[in-house]
Amino acid sequence: MLRRIFSIAANTFRETIRNKILYAILAFALFVIGMTFFLADLSVGDFARIIADVGLASIHVFGVIMAVFLGINLVSNEVDRKTIFILLSKPVRRYEFIFGKTLGLSVTLLLTTLAMATVLFLVHLSYRYGGRAEVGIFIASAGIYMELVLLTCLASLFSTFTTPVLSAIFTLSLFFVGHLTNYLYVLGEQSKGTAVRWGSRFLFYLLPNLENFNWKNEVAYGGLKSFSILGWAAGYLVAYAACVLCLSCLLFARKDFK
Amino acid sequence: MKDRGRILAVEGLTKSYPTGFWRKPVRVLSDLSFEVRENEIVGFLGPNGAGKTTTIKILNRLAFPDAGEVTLFGGQVRDGADVRRRIGFMPEQPYFYEYLTGGEFLRLCGQLCGMSRADTESRSSELLVRVGLSGARDTAIRKYSKGMMQRLGLAQALLHDPELVILDEPMSGLDPMGRMEVRGIIRDLKAAGKTVFFSSHILSDVEALCDRVIMLHKGRKVAEGRVEELIGAETLYIELVVSPVLPADRLVAEGIPPETGYAQGDLLVLRAPNSGEANRWMASLLRAGCTVLSCVPMKKNLEEIFMERVGSSGATGAAS
Repeated sequence: MLRRIFSIAANTFRETIRNKILYAILAFALFVIGMTFFLADLSVGDFARIIADVGLASIHVFGVIMAVFLGINLVSNEVDRKTIFILLSKPVRRYEFIFGKTLGLSVTLLLTTLAMATVLFLVHLSYRYGGRAEVGIFIASAGIYMELVLLTCLASLFSTFTTPVLSAIFTLSLFFVGHLTNYLYVLGEQSKGTAVRWGSRFLFYLLPNLENFNWKNEVAYGGLKSFSILGWAAGYLVAYAACVLCLSCLLFARKDFK
Repeated sequence: MKDRGRILAVEGLTKSYPTGFWRKPVRVLSDLSFEVRENEIVGFLGPNGAGKTTTIKILNRLAFPDAGEVTLFGGQVRDGADVRRRIGFMPEQPYFYEYLTGGEFLRLCGQLCGMSRADTESRSSELLVRVGLSGARDTAIRKYSKGMMQRLGLAQALLHDPELVILDEPMSGLDPMGRMEVRGIIRDLKAAGKTVFFSSHILSDVEALCDRVIMLHKGRKVAEGRVEELIGAETLYIELVVSPVLPADRLVAEGIPPETGYAQGDLLVLRAPNSGEANRWMASLLRAGCTVLSCVPMKKNLEEIFMERVGSSGATGAAS
């Protein structure tokens, strides 16, 4: 089973890494991150903080673009190009296909996030007015990466049953909602109605809480120095992604290919 | 004939596809039943929209029937991966990952089939030579022609040495040379003890290759049987070819209805309704100074049988 999942993952990685649009997005992201070197000069106060702040935001935005763009086509491309006919006629179980595709894309996103984080780290380090080795950039990038993996799982879930455009809309909607679920909980708790309180609690636990992966501010203000925070976020990612992938596998298990 | 084991059994297969939220689903297969026995070559015939591809997709678990059952190697098709290790499948107009080379693609297929790297390499080399792609092993698939894709599709289907080979339109897109090679491969598979089930529009290929045929029309089976049984022993007419061409009045004088013949260059082709008439006509023509060049009893071919069966069950369908 693992061999088949890794074979599909390796093929997906090879496919995504040869995608010219991915390179275009990555090149633009690296350019924007590089430009923070000059942007810091225009700001007032802690110059290096601006680099970390804008740089991490850039990694986040471009990472989401890559994850959504590649994730929504994860399954639909295989169906549209009919390559799935050959793959699934082999001794491959459908859940192995879903796991393999998601794993392959996660590896691609790992490399692109690492490339962006490294460039930001170097820009931060080499800044002429108070640059320093900020390890927190990698911790915050790890959080961003985990968020991207979760978005990839959600995109692949949607791509099992709907069109790429709708998948993109659903995934982006969950991305925005996922950063607001804490507010949803707080607002719900302030309500006097029991149904509203229970409803908001239900949605709080059902929807992805992407703020669990957000340590950008802590890094920018120098308040994050330890990797231990990654543990809780990784646990949340594994649990939530497992649920999403299981749902994808269930929906995909009885899908007819025309 | 030796009674061979049942490799594939389809029982009461029914399938409909939705056509829209408000519209009624379209019935593609209706109560289809047939079986394929070990070491047979079985042709699956039908016009566009007959349901051939849908049936083949169900056999490969790419689609699921609304009703009915598929049994492969004595176990139901839902047994999944272990059963599929024993099946080789080539879809109609196969598509591949264009960024891979032919060799890389076969390596991927070998990995998915659980083959070792050494086995995959040796089997790939052997098959690429067999399908005429040995020179294109390291060429990106995006540079392959349609015929080359078809050949690669055949190679991937045979890579893991399956017992049952299911081919959806294996001859489509191939030039006459390619078709001849594919026919040779199918015959070799039978000689190696494999079972082949394939759909085709090219009836002459089916007639030349198959032990049995199954004809499908509008999702229903309209005929099934051995090719010689379907064609039958009945002689339609006896074709005489004589030279030189006699004018109509001479034919009438010899007791031969002129409407039974036509001139083809310097030759006269006559269609005698039975052997008695053919003998009488030959004697008369020899007396009249003609030379009889050939005398061939003509039987129905598969194409005529197909047109007869399909024609009697209505017009062609809409989706396959």
